[in-house]
Amino acid sequence: MSWKGETPKYLVPRPTLEDREFWDGARRGELRIQHCTTCGQHQHYARMLCSHCGAETLEWVTASGNGTIYSYTVIRKNGVPPFNERVPFVVASVDLDESGARVIAAMPDCAPDQAQIGMRVKATFRPASDEVAFVDFAPA
Amino acid sequence: MQRNVCVVGVGLADGPVTPNLTSTMLEAQGFKRALDDAGINKNDIDGLASAGYGGMHEVMLAEYLGIRPRWMESTSVGGSSFEFHTMHAYRAIQNGDAEMIAIVYGNNQLSAFGRTLGTGGGGGRGGGMQMPLPMAYEFPTGLTLVGAYAMAAQRHMHEFGTKPEQLASIAVQTREHASRNPNAMYRDLITVDDVLESNLVADPLHKLDCCVISDGGCAIVLTSEERARDLAHRPVYVRGAAGGSTHHSINAMADMTRTAAALSGPKAFAEAGITPADVDMFAMYDSFSYTVLVVLEDLGFAPKGEGGAFVADNGGNLRLGGALPTNTDGGGLSCTHPGMRGLFLICEATRQLRGEAGDSQVAGAEIAVAHGSGGWLSTQGTVVLGTEARS
Repeated sequence: MSWKGETPKYLVPRPTLEDREFWDGARRGELRIQHCTTCGQHQHYARMLCSHCGAETLEWVTASGNGTIYSYTVIRKNGVPPFNERVPFVVASVDLDESGARVIAAMPDCAPDQAQIGMRVKATFRPASDEVAFVDFAPA
Repeated sequence: MQRNVCVVGVGLADGPVTPNLTSTMLEAQGFKRALDDAGINKNDIDGLASAGYGGMHEVMLAEYLGIRPRWMESTSVGGSSFEFHTMHAYRAIQNGDAEMIAIVYGNNQLSAFGRTLGTGGGGGRGGGMQMPLPMAYEFPTGLTLVGAYAMAAQRHMHEFGTKPEQLASIAVQTREHASRNPNAMYRDLITVDDVLESNLVADPLHKLDCCVISDGGCAIVLTSEERARDLAHRPVYVRGAAGGSTHHSINAMADMTRTAAALSGPKAFAEAGITPADVDMFAMYDSFSYTVLVVLEDLGFAPKGEGGAFVADNGGNLRLGGALPTNTDGGGLSCTHPGMRGLFLICEATRQLRGEAGDSQVAGAEIAVAHGSGGWLSTQGTVVLGTEARS
């Protein structure tokens, strides 16, 4: 069920000045997100300003990798390789335990009829290039 | 003192399948038909709006059409762009910045790209989408456009017990409207079971919960009430307009059961001096059945969470004779959807308020609402139209 094999080049994000910390972390098996020292909230993806309170006071922290499915869908039709060969598969919006941060992720190890809103899930890491790894989620 | 503003011309290009017309040809065809409908010449137009392409599109289009506008607008916020254009054109004419504005859209989406828009094609080069933030995180998951709406629908079902049958009912009632429209893409009546038995594209949305992909084009002309008095048709008044945005990518939609229509609707209705109960006809961007359901709630036609019951009750409240006849031309779900549908909504609402909707006429329609939804429920624009100005 897991997504093995080479990832097509056009799917592989190129790290930027802003988000290299996230991708470096994912390569190491760490979920790196931003924490705002002004309001205490977290955010994913990396930004200059806190999307909750607007402050510049952001620091990188390593998230626990634990979260809860806010919503999900089962993709049954996708015309673009390699997804056309992977259907059906689950994509979920996951609220991390770290307040304020939500991650969208594939769930290659979750059967379509297993996914549920409210399900506890944990981050897993799938290398995609020398620079980046995708952050997936799996049932906890 | 602010002037009253009216829609005085509407034009539909050929459709829903036009393999021999480019997008620009469709735009020109809609434009000419809107001018003819208003009984004006292209040189009467001093403002032009369009969206959906690269930068400076409306500048190119002005050259192509042979007009020299002094007011231009290209807000590009997805399918609701044209409700924003209408709002901005309304303000511009209200304040005297422009006299007569054309809003134009055309796209040979089906003939150029096939039915790939919702399921990964996106029209991008090489089959892949570009990945500006935040899509660098979303696209590699394999989420599709349909999938984004499906996630929101799934959350609504979880929170409020909304049923697939209720979503399906929207497609069924819209098809009933399409059955009366000779220009609709699909006209054969369907049942709730037909929708539920059609293939799941992204759970919980079935194929028949999704809008069609077609070719087509459309244009409208707006001017001041003073100028409208001399023109061909009884003017249709813009009474209020508002828009808003809550997110770009679906993952950033904090509450997937509430859209920016909850902001734009009350503001537009207040400006128009109406309440939801005053609305005789609703032209709603039905990209998916769920889009209709969630916006019905956000605009106040049904309490939050009760949209499912509202659409299915009373034998179907979106039908002619229902509480809120909706998408009387057959909508995006059955009639036409050339990439973006926002402008067609204002066209259909105008036709209804003029009493020109034939077999689909809502008897005595005096107030219509056109509401566009763009992106992934990201942007919402509400336009209130009426047969009379606000008194």
